Amino acid sequence: MSISDFLRGSPDGIDVTGPKLIASFEIGGITINLTETVVLSWVIIAAVTLLLLWLTSDLKTKDISKKQVLAEWAVTTIYGLVDDTMGKHWRKFAPYIGGLFTFSILGSLISMLGLRSVTADFNVPLTWALITFVLIHGTNIRTHGLGGYLKGYAEPVPVMLPMNILSEISTPVSMSLRHFGNIVSGMVITSLLYFALSVITKKIGIAFCTIGIPAVLSLYFDLFSGFMQAFIFIMLTMVYISNADGNAEA
Amino acid sequence: MDFLSIDVGTILFTLINTGLIFLAFKLILFKRVDAILEQRQQEVNSTYTKADDALSSASADREKYAKALAGAKDEADEIVKRAERIAQRQGDAIINKARQEAQSAREKASLETEREKAIAWHELQGEISDLAVELAQKIVEKEINKADHERLIDEFLQEIGDEA
Repeated sequence: MSISDFLRGSPDGIDVTGPKLIASFEIGGITINLTETVVLSWVIIAAVTLLLLWLTSDLKTKDISKKQVLAEWAVTTIYGLVDDTMGKHWRKFAPYIGGLFTFSILGSLISMLGLRSVTADFNVPLTWALITFVLIHGTNIRTHGLGGYLKGYAEPVPVMLPMNILSEISTPVSMSLRHFGNIVSGMVITSLLYFALSVITKKIGIAFCTIGIPAVLSLYFDLFSGFMQAFIFIMLTMVYISNADGNAEA
Repeated sequence: MDFLSIDVGTILFTLINTGLIFLAFKLILFKRVDAILEQRQQEVNSTYTKADDALSSASADREKYAKALAGAKDEADEIVKRAERIAQRQGDAIINKARQEAQSAREKASLETEREKAIAWHELQGEISDLAVELAQKIVEKEINKADHERLIDEFLQEIGDEA
């Protein structure tokens, strides 16, 4: 929907679609689609990179600037979160957690600029969940050995084997669908709301409903939900991986 | 694209993108901030070390000065005592000497007086005998009358007065 549709009231219903296809090419018989999601991800990466470069330029040990306070706060906060959740020996994991959190939150909040949320494309949280999945099992094998890892599926009793496998598979599925579902439902609800408000606008001819009400609801569906899902995703990632760690301190 | 679909291309791109954002965080934010935090920690440590050093050296100095000060006080006391002793001794010597000198002067003076008295007496004796002889001569030489007698006595007295 365009801005003019909001103000005048959309003439034809609403249509919730997936990300737009921008380009498509074939490599070795596999069709690779370059979608809106990927392009917006690049925008986010560029923005984040520039932001980080700006934040970390001209760092000093004394008389620090406000942006350095922010940079140091970000680093120490992420370290604190990783230390608390995973233990100090997982500190090297902090940049991934910080990056994932930022990517997720900005990917969701980009909808506030009128663009399509990156995280409203199922493939994005699915990729993250698959990374987490690989890290979980990688950690498990690394710390328990392959034998110990495989034995873990037959515990506490061998009959649990199918259930354990199912449980492992359901982890990335639930993680990705939770993130996707929350963001996309927010998007759908926001679209429906805009449509409903624009219909009212069309009936009474004054555009007062489309201003104000969406902002308040957007606060929850975009800002709060985006933040919550990003936080839940990184917390689950950390908890699952540290649970798989056989050398855990605690 | 479909609303809900699994797309290999998007997954691959997202994998790369996630890797990129991870690298951006690791190589820009964490690397730089870690370096500055480490540097600051080292500065704090070195500042603390310096402060400790300064503190211990200051307290060592203070002890040294206190000791030196106590030593100086003792020394000063010693000097004063020594000076007092010397002054006492010198004073005693001066007084003794003065006393001895006074004694000897007194003795000398009294000796002189005795001698002069003896000389004077001796001279007086001589003169008296001379006068007596002279008087006797005069008495013998002249006939004695009242007027002469008186004149003679006056002359004698006159002579004695002149002699004295």
